[in-house]
Amino acid sequence: MNHLTSALVAGMQQFPGAEYGIDDQGYTTHHPLWPEQAELIYGGIASLIVIGLLIWKAGPLLKKAMAARTDKIQVELDESAAAKRDAEAEAARIRQSLGNIDAERQRVLADADAQAQALLADGRTRLDAEAAELEAKAQADIAAGAGRAGDELRGEIARLAGAAADLVVERSLDDATQQQLIEAYIAKVGATTPATSGATR
Amino acid sequence: MNVIEGYANGLFEIAKAEGTLDEVEDELFRFARSYESSDELRNALTDELVPVTRRQSIVEDLLGGKASPTTAQLVSMIVGSGRGRDLPAIVDRLVQRAAATKDATVAEVRTAVALSADQQDRLRAALANATGRNITVKAVVDPSVLGGVVATVGDTVIDGTVRTHLEQLKSRL
Repeated sequence: MNHLTSALVAGMQQFPGAEYGIDDQGYTTHHPLWPEQAELIYGGIASLIVIGLLIWKAGPLLKKAMAARTDKIQVELDESAAAKRDAEAEAARIRQSLGNIDAERQRVLADADAQAQALLADGRTRLDAEAAELEAKAQADIAAGAGRAGDELRGEIARLAGAAADLVVERSLDDATQQQLIEAYIAKVGATTPATSGATR
Repeated sequence: MNVIEGYANGLFEIAKAEGTLDEVEDELFRFARSYESSDELRNALTDELVPVTRRQSIVEDLLGGKASPTTAQLVSMIVGSGRGRDLPAIVDRLVQRAAATKDATVAEVRTAVALSADQQDRLRAALANATGRNITVKAVVDPSVLGGVVATVGDTVIDGTVRTHLEQLKSRL
């Protein structure tokens, strides 16, 4: 032990400040930065013991915790990779769906456009036919109306003329005229023979 | 023999037995024509809601003093038996039978004014000449003919009325 102490002291003395701790009687003095020799020894030993205990007792625990942490990180990394793959697959699927949707949209739009064109053409044809039919009907109605108006006018003229004739005849049929008509009838019937009569006259 | 024929024969025999056939026949004929032309008279004599005695009194009021008693009684009998609607047909059949007994055909002559006896005679002769038959003229005053004469002999109609000429004119118009 003394040898060890002597060796440490000798070693210390190699440092530039060490010579300040030795007085003229050979005793070491307190250095402002460097601890006492014994303190260094005991402190070093205690430190070694503590470090050894730590390595002995806490080392496995620390190693186990680090391994668990490593495993956990690895699991998380694996999960992240899987999630990334899933996301990429989903993204690919979505991109494909978008492509399909776009194609379907194009097809639907094309169909709708074709149907609209067909409907438009059909509607124009039908409208043209209906317009022609309406025009023909209107022309026929106009012609019929004109005919009816003409017929009604002719009928009214005939009715008025008949009424006028009635009036004129009735006024002109005095007794002398009545007798003339009767005598003319008798003369005419008397001149008729059975061969020329027999029908309504 | 239908009902009308039966009634006509009955009236004929009664009038003949009374010795007033010509007179009764002529009066019945004129009454039948008046009956045909008057809706009011026809309704009064055929309305089932009017008592028979009331209808018969109407006949007596109409014919009393204007026709022979036999004519009035015969018409009253027809109306009283509910055959008022058949009166014209019965009378026409009676007139035809009376004419047939004289080997003649009835000519119903319609004019707007009454014919004189002379005109009826000449018209009878003219119709006889035209049809070749012996004619009995039954004259009816019908203002609707306006003027002229229309004679119906059986199915033959000889029409010389102003009304017909006017209708033909209107038809042409």
